[in-house]
Amino acid sequence: MRVCFHRFFAAILAVPGLHAQEVSFQRDIRPLLSDRCFKCHGFDEETQEADLGLHTFAAATRDLGGYRAVAPGDSAASELIARLVSDDPGEVMPPPKSNKPRFSPEEVALMKRWIDGGAKYEEHWAFVKPVRPPLPEAGESGSDHPVDRFLDAGRAGSGLPINGPADPRTLVRRLSYDLRGLPPTIEETDAFLAAHAQDPEAAWGALVDAFLASPAYGEHWARDWLDLARYADTNGYEKDRPRSIWPYRDWVVRAFNDDLPYDRFTIEQLAGDMLPDPTLDQIVATGFHRNTMLNEEGGIDPLEFRYHAMVDRVATTGSVWMGLTTGCAQCHTHKFDPITHTDYFALFALLNNADEPEIEVPDPILTRQRAEIAAQIEDSEGKEVARLDEARFQAWLAGLRGQSVPWTVLPPLKAVSNLPLLEIEPDLSLYASGDFTKRDVYELSLDLSPLRGKAVTALRLEVLPDPRLPANGPGAAYYEGRKGEFFLSEVTAQVGGRPLAFSGASASFGQISIGSGEAKAENVYDGDGSTGWSTSTREGEAHHLVLKLAEPLAGAETLELSLLFERHFAAGLGRFRLSAATAAGGIAALPPGAPDPFAASEGELRRAFVRLSPDHKAHQEAVAALRGKMPELPTTLVMKERPPHHRRPTHRHHRGEYLSPKEIVAPAVPAIFEPIPEGTPADRLGLAKWLVSERNPLAARVAVNRAWQSLFGRGIVHTSGDYGYQSELPSHPELLDWLAVEFVEQGWSLKRLHRLLVTSAAYRRDSRIDPVQLARDPDNVLLSRGARFRLTGEMLRDGALHAAGLLSSKRGGPGVYPPQPESVVDLAYGSEAWTSSVGEPRYRRSLYTFAKRTAPFAAYLVFDGPTGENCLPRRERSNTPLQALTLLNDPMFHEAAEALARRAWSGAEGVPDESRAVLDALFRRVLSRPPDGREQEDFLAFHEAQWARLATGELKAAEILSAENGPVTPGLAAWAMVARVLLNLNEAITRG
Amino acid sequence: MNPAETSMNESLHLLTRRHFFQDCGIGLGKIGLSAAFAGGFSHLAKADGAPSGRGRHHGARAKRVIYLFMAGAPSQLELFDDKPKLRELDGKPIPPSVIAGQRYAFIQPDAAVLAPCFPFARYGQSGAELSDRLPYLARIVDEIAIVKSVKTDQFNHAPAQLFLNTGHGLPGRPAMGSWLSYGIGSEADDLPAFVVLKSGGSLSGGAAMWSAGFLPGSHAGVPFRDAGDPILHVSNPKGYDAKAQRDSLDLLRRMNEGALAHLGDPEIQTRIDAYEMAWRMQSAAPELMDFADESPATLALYGAKPGDPKAAFANQCLLARRLVERGTRCVQVYHAGWDHHSQVENGVKSQALQVDQASAALVMDLKQRGLLDDTLVIWGGEFGRTPMVEASAALGRSLGRDHHPQAFTMWMAGGGIRPGITLGATDELGFHVVEDPVHVHDLHATILHLLGIDHTKLTFRYQGRDFRLTDVHGHVVGKLLA
Repeated sequence: MRVCFHRFFAAILAVPGLHAQEVSFQRDIRPLLSDRCFKCHGFDEETQEADLGLHTFAAATRDLGGYRAVAPGDSAASELIARLVSDDPGEVMPPPKSNKPRFSPEEVALMKRWIDGGAKYEEHWAFVKPVRPPLPEAGESGSDHPVDRFLDAGRAGSGLPINGPADPRTLVRRLSYDLRGLPPTIEETDAFLAAHAQDPEAAWGALVDAFLASPAYGEHWARDWLDLARYADTNGYEKDRPRSIWPYRDWVVRAFNDDLPYDRFTIEQLAGDMLPDPTLDQIVATGFHRNTMLNEEGGIDPLEFRYHAMVDRVATTGSVWMGLTTGCAQCHTHKFDPITHTDYFALFALLNNADEPEIEVPDPILTRQRAEIAAQIEDSEGKEVARLDEARFQAWLAGLRGQSVPWTVLPPLKAVSNLPLLEIEPDLSLYASGDFTKRDVYELSLDLSPLRGKAVTALRLEVLPDPRLPANGPGAAYYEGRKGEFFLSEVTAQVGGRPLAFSGASASFGQISIGSGEAKAENVYDGDGSTGWSTSTREGEAHHLVLKLAEPLAGAETLELSLLFERHFAAGLGRFRLSAATAAGGIAALPPGAPDPFAASEGELRRAFVRLSPDHKAHQEAVAALRGKMPELPTTLVMKERPPHHRRPTHRHHRGEYLSPKEIVAPAVPAIFEPIPEGTPADRLGLAKWLVSERNPLAARVAVNRAWQSLFGRGIVHTSGDYGYQSELPSHPELLDWLAVEFVEQGWSLKRLHRLLVTSAAYRRDSRIDPVQLARDPDNVLLSRGARFRLTGEMLRDGALHAAGLLSSKRGGPGVYPPQPESVVDLAYGSEAWTSSVGEPRYRRSLYTFAKRTAPFAAYLVFDGPTGENCLPRRERSNTPLQALTLLNDPMFHEAAEALARRAWSGAEGVPDESRAVLDALFRRVLSRPPDGREQEDFLAFHEAQWARLATGELKAAEILSAENGPVTPGLAAWAMVARVLLNLNEAITRG
Repeated sequence: MNPAETSMNESLHLLTRRHFFQDCGIGLGKIGLSAAFAGGFSHLAKADGAPSGRGRHHGARAKRVIYLFMAGAPSQLELFDDKPKLRELDGKPIPPSVIAGQRYAFIQPDAAVLAPCFPFARYGQSGAELSDRLPYLARIVDEIAIVKSVKTDQFNHAPAQLFLNTGHGLPGRPAMGSWLSYGIGSEADDLPAFVVLKSGGSLSGGAAMWSAGFLPGSHAGVPFRDAGDPILHVSNPKGYDAKAQRDSLDLLRRMNEGALAHLGDPEIQTRIDAYEMAWRMQSAAPELMDFADESPATLALYGAKPGDPKAAFANQCLLARRLVERGTRCVQVYHAGWDHHSQVENGVKSQALQVDQASAALVMDLKQRGLLDDTLVIWGGEFGRTPMVEASAALGRSLGRDHHPQAFTMWMAGGGIRPGITLGATDELGFHVVEDPVHVHDLHATILHLLGIDHTKLTFRYQGRDFRLTDVHGHVVGKLLA
């Protein structure tokens, strides 16, 4: 019956200027048609029953052969009405098998009145650009604040009593949690009370400004955004291995604290890499759409899961910036909203042209440290070279020459593959990029003309590191196996269609990952795709494979080479080069690290000597020690738009299935909207700019509605990820549009928007619920009272730690591991243990808790926290026994209770009425108020009773308190028990 | 009801009851509230999360479900589906016409055939065919229905496990147990409606398999943990005895009642009720976990040995029976260890030893106690295994079988299932289903049907769409119904 009430109010009261008698298509008719008719008579022409659509005036009034579904002005002649009231089960609409409820007599009457009035169709409100509506007159609240004037108008005539302002203690706590996610300190509360007594308005303004300026503000609001961004620190799916993308999370925090305008905030996250001369920050921001999951399960089809990630990107973009549920249109034209199947894939195409690299995020301090160490190594090596023993060096070099033959690089004439793009680099190596599969074949034509007149006896494949590849290559593997590895299954060579046989092979190094197989060089010509060669574990290094030809090859102009990479994960080579030798006799690969003595310079050879020779062991150890000290740079996941000559085509997929690609679809925004302007490329950047342009009627509305939802507990549009035909109508449409226009005109500043909302009288109202309010407006849609809602799990933990004085103020960096039972992650796949952090990181703000998708931190999940698997526009606020068990018994909260007790007790030591002083301090820390008389009596009695049991040894103080934290006494233990009850109070876990 | 005439007390009471029922998958199920929510709102355009189709739609044959999920995917060719043709073709490739267009995880589709590793025989009055690895199941074969024609869409573990548990191959949808909790609630007021038990190795599908998805979080499966508290934080913190806990709760209750009187927020009443149920769970959980009241004969029937990790699956089966006795609606028992890419013969041998006795014992024990009639037992993995051999030098694998989504076998018992039948058949290679295909969506539709739910009516609106367990598919398999 709650649903009835707010519908009732939303419909009748919240749309000023409408008479209850007037039928509104928007308000009365479309919701009925959308809910009960469009599934079979809507936008999706393929599934339209009886070839009839009711979604447009033209379709509904079409001549159906002497009659029409809707005859404007004449309900009696409208077949629609006849069908709605028919008693014939074969005739009546909606048909019984549809599970849709029948139209009630009142609803039929509405339909008739609408048809008799001309059956006017209106554009869905959300698809019409917001224009700033005039401000209503100030109403019953007497407040001149624009928000209050709209809310007063919405409430007019409802007969709901409105609450006055909340008391200042409630207000400071409310604002502190809403803007910073933390309770106020005793000092902050007292300062505000004093200022409030002088000038309430000025005190409130100053408090708002102070909280907006606090670094905790960015940490709090980043949490909401990360719910949308489906942020997590692991890849998801079966293996759920860790990933490094926390630099993106820290970017979000900074963006909120710096009040980065929302339009720029949007463009940088969607397409920062495509801005002219992008800064590192702008590239890091593109992590937004790298928060999709990565399936590393052995044997999967990687492109299938890339497709699923793209589906997620489209859905998330639609939900966050367009308030559109695009999901339906993945499989077929949306039945309820005007988005066709092709529209969906056109939007998909806008986002579908990026590669997905991992980049280093140089930090100035680490970069300097690295440069210093590199210089030391350089210096040390230079000195070592200067004092090498010339005779020993010459002997070594002669030995190396003896083992080597001269190699001639073969220029590639042509290089193609089943999918990856192969490009020829200036050094005549090949670089592979784009999408890789579980079975990639590279087909190369190599120019033998540099060896004209000689007979080729052997081929050499050099595999080379490259900073563009995962872990610097040489392979392109990025999941399941080791990053940057490859797996070369087979090499076949042909000249003019004639296959060449190999008679031996060797490699500088060979190792394969996963499984017990050997990486013998000969594997590449044994005809078995499941064996092969790899340099796994030595990523970032150059290695080579030498293949001897069974018969010398003479007189050929080109050599056709085919490389097969076949494993249960994608493992193609990323960078490599081919050479040939013409020497006779035993040609073999050189040991790891040894330079090609016929190609390297004198300086390189001397350096190689001091690096490899046992003569220079002490130096080598010193260098290794220096390298060990070289700090690793953090990495993060970003987007990189593909070059114009390597666009990824987007197909329409029949029924949305990965395996059913159909025709190619050009990138575009859905046709219901104004297109991306001419002259702007239809790509990711074009989409990002379009989303925050006046052509998109929704971005600002959706953004202000989310802010409203966070501050008032419930959005003006309750379905905050869906503004389509199936969504709930806004409770206050003019207010929403006014705020949206205001938001854009004041420069897309979220801080200004937040300030605007919290300075309204509505925000500051007392949240007590009187019986009339409860009966008539249980969800507080009309805001006759202040909002009350349960805090999130993260806020409960942060609040308890903050009140206890334990919360760390350290910000940013990799995720940390607050304590939780090991059994939480035991349930996930694999053996990643949850080793609780010790010391400061244990008390880091919850935003920084390592977010594991398959085993989210238990205390957040139980309070409806996110899993990071999908974009989450609105968290549930459930109220369950498992939450009670967590707050009562989780050692983390118990630890906070102990610290609270110690803190309150040490502050009250020596005060005349010690017990009352301790209790007072506990109350003020947790609830921002002192206890009243009855509470004092009850809590002191509880303390007394527990103290008595502790004193007799019936309960053990040493079990309740930890001696590591200070003295262990029955009195203190009893205070810890008191603090625990306080942390469990409904008042403590609610923002009231 | 005229809202203006509703007194404070009445509306508070109403809202509170509704709140608690909706928000707490755990609790108040004995009060038959479902009827109140089955209709009444549907004449209005629905907001996200508006209740729809809750409650039973027809008479239920089953009241509860125990699903023995064989994670990793047991080989149907070593247990249920004998294929003499494979013995004949052993070592030869499968004809290209059969394998065209099929995708595999690890092997190339032209791999050679591997003959079934074990002898088969017919058992019971029904004459059902089983391999010699299932001697205990052979004794109760007339109680169960074997389905040899199950099909799925997914060929990797995590997506396939998610598909069987949630009806969708990606994380984010509600588990079947969550739909049941949401649709028909719980019968226990001191234990969760939907419990997850586990034995064996790691689970590919992970926590997303018992997630409530977009349903309220309170309908999520509650995993019972092997170490420490069976339910997270169900024990008092160190130093607290029952009296200290009760004293604390009494003070808490007094304070919260004061706040309720002062603030009038029905959420506070729900909070008070939630804490009281937490207290009841604290005493119910240890009693549940203590097998002291089980007879030696019962323990022997299952092969259960409390505290012995070697008997983990048997212990979980017995615990599952204790849970359903106490009113839990759905118990998911996961046993992982069936992923035999290499040496399928030894693998199946060892897993069957861990699983066969207790699986059969559960059916027998439920029957002895008169619970089998209205308890549905389901046994099976996420897909089957290939008729072709898996061998890979790089991975060090030989004589194994790869993932096979095209056909596999499950069995069901009790709760309105027709006993003593074998449904469906595969071709002579065991490759494709040729008779009575049962897709995963059909399986879900049938399970819901047995519990009194029309799978097309139990829906939840999320992101503008009415979602259901069976997506837009699924047919009740009439031949399986008693």
